[in-house]
Amino acid sequence: MSKLGVFDVSVRYGKVPALTDVSFTVEEGERMFISGPNGAGKSSLLKAICGAVPTTHGRIEVDGDMLNGRSPEVIARLGLTMVPEGREIFGTLTVEENLRVGTGIRPDKPAVETDIDEVYQSFPILGERRHTNAGALSGGQQQMLAIGRGLMTNPKLMLVDEPSLGLAPNIVDQVYDTLVNLQNDRGLTLIIVEQSSARAARVGGRMVLLRGGSVVGDGDAAKFAESDLLKEAYFGQNKAEDAT
Amino acid sequence: MNAIPQLFFDAMSLGGIYAMAALGIALIFGVMKLVNFAHGEYIAFCVFALIVPSTDAVAVMFLGKAPAFLLIPTLLLIGAAVAVASEFFVFRHMRNATPVAMMISSFALGFVIQNILLVVFSSRPKAVSLWPELNQPVSIAGASIPLLQLIVILSTLIVVVTLAVLLKRTRIGLEMRAAAENFTMARLLGVRANVVITGAFALSGALAAAVALIMVTQTGVADIRMGGQIMLVAFIATVIGGLGSLPGAVAAGFLIGAASVILQGFLPLEARPFRDAFLFTLVIVSLLLRPEGLFAPRSSKPRV
Repeated sequence: MSKLGVFDVSVRYGKVPALTDVSFTVEEGERMFISGPNGAGKSSLLKAICGAVPTTHGRIEVDGDMLNGRSPEVIARLGLTMVPEGREIFGTLTVEENLRVGTGIRPDKPAVETDIDEVYQSFPILGERRHTNAGALSGGQQQMLAIGRGLMTNPKLMLVDEPSLGLAPNIVDQVYDTLVNLQNDRGLTLIIVEQSSARAARVGGRMVLLRGGSVVGDGDAAKFAESDLLKEAYFGQNKAEDAT
Repeated sequence: MNAIPQLFFDAMSLGGIYAMAALGIALIFGVMKLVNFAHGEYIAFCVFALIVPSTDAVAVMFLGKAPAFLLIPTLLLIGAAVAVASEFFVFRHMRNATPVAMMISSFALGFVIQNILLVVFSSRPKAVSLWPELNQPVSIAGASIPLLQLIVILSTLIVVVTLAVLLKRTRIGLEMRAAAENFTMARLLGVRANVVITGAFALSGALAAAVALIMVTQTGVADIRMGGQIMLVAFIATVIGGLGSLPGAVAAGFLIGAASVILQGFLPLEARPFRDAFLFTLVIVSLLLRPEGLFAPRSSKPRV
């Protein structure tokens, strides 16, 4: 059984369609990029999976459990966590408090403390600043914190929305190194929204290409970099098709 | 007699009441973006819970007869229960409504509570004598102040410290602070919306009960309209403090209390009847200078 199954999923905001009949499956331990131009529906797709926006059609399953109609807090309990676009860290909470917000759903309370230490080992800067208000961190540190916060829920499946947004290239390298290491250590299934297909190709993995709310390509990220599909997705043959 | 300590105690005790009422509003605004105008009616409801339901002019003590160690926790529970019930029956169904729609329904709920009190107790203010011995003066630092003022100041401190500890040191407190800052993100991390919102209403209702106890002891009157005035001031305090900021609500509550006492003490005699006009002028000036509030929570916007 697939880790995540998305079947014919549609999302609309009022009358504006954001996603139309999107389907794909992700296997356990896989790394998948979602790419595409602005307005392709990448963020809407992640939000639909984690329950932050309702689907109008279709089915989303984690380990065969249906997610549609469940609230985000229930979906979080199924081992799915979201690292959202723009980080959305809690700026008025300390770094350590940010890490603890998501631990309420865990039955293994003693493991929480060792996991916090682990996060501090992965991100030493967070350990140094554990009692600082998270709002005072730099953008790169906030991204690390958002990833660490997601890890603290002890997820099996992690959705990361545009981790490179607004970060310097060398910091982006660091973020990706960390994500790849974490995945290797924990057997996480990773789904990453990444607008730069070159970046996705360099990190490696599968890529699903969205355009205008539909899947227009699905395959190895490295192969996409040289194919015409990408150019088509971004520049399109038929401009009128670009509804969103 | 020494005027400065006198003013200080007056300011602290009045500010303490405002601070507690403002906290009750700020707590709910924080997690729900709801300005709960029914909060004043929670206060009135708690006051009337002390006396036997009847439309007679003379109030007969009911819960008010109980000893303090029973009366206080029971009334706090009643306040919490009213608030939680109003969330369950009214605001829960409006989770996805706009803040304006929620605010208007809170007005409606306030009217409903007030009219229930009107039917059961009649609109005439009633004399209620709760712990009259607390109005005995004691002298401190050259000022002669009612014992109650000291108790008010002390209990405000206890309430603020307890709340701070609760928010800072407990699981539900952490979840409430996270939800107050970013509700959707908190839910994505598994924080249960219903638990946090119910918790906020319960705390808010208990704060309303505390204010009710202080007001009724101080004034000796039960009036179905008694929530209105304090609600107005408390709402102003939450706005000046920066909507959603709990330390801001407390600080602004004390600030308004102090400003009001100082104006009362130092305005020329002819101007004193217009004290509130001066007070609200200060409020307007403060909002012109700092529209986001004096103590607005630090922006949690991502740094890009």
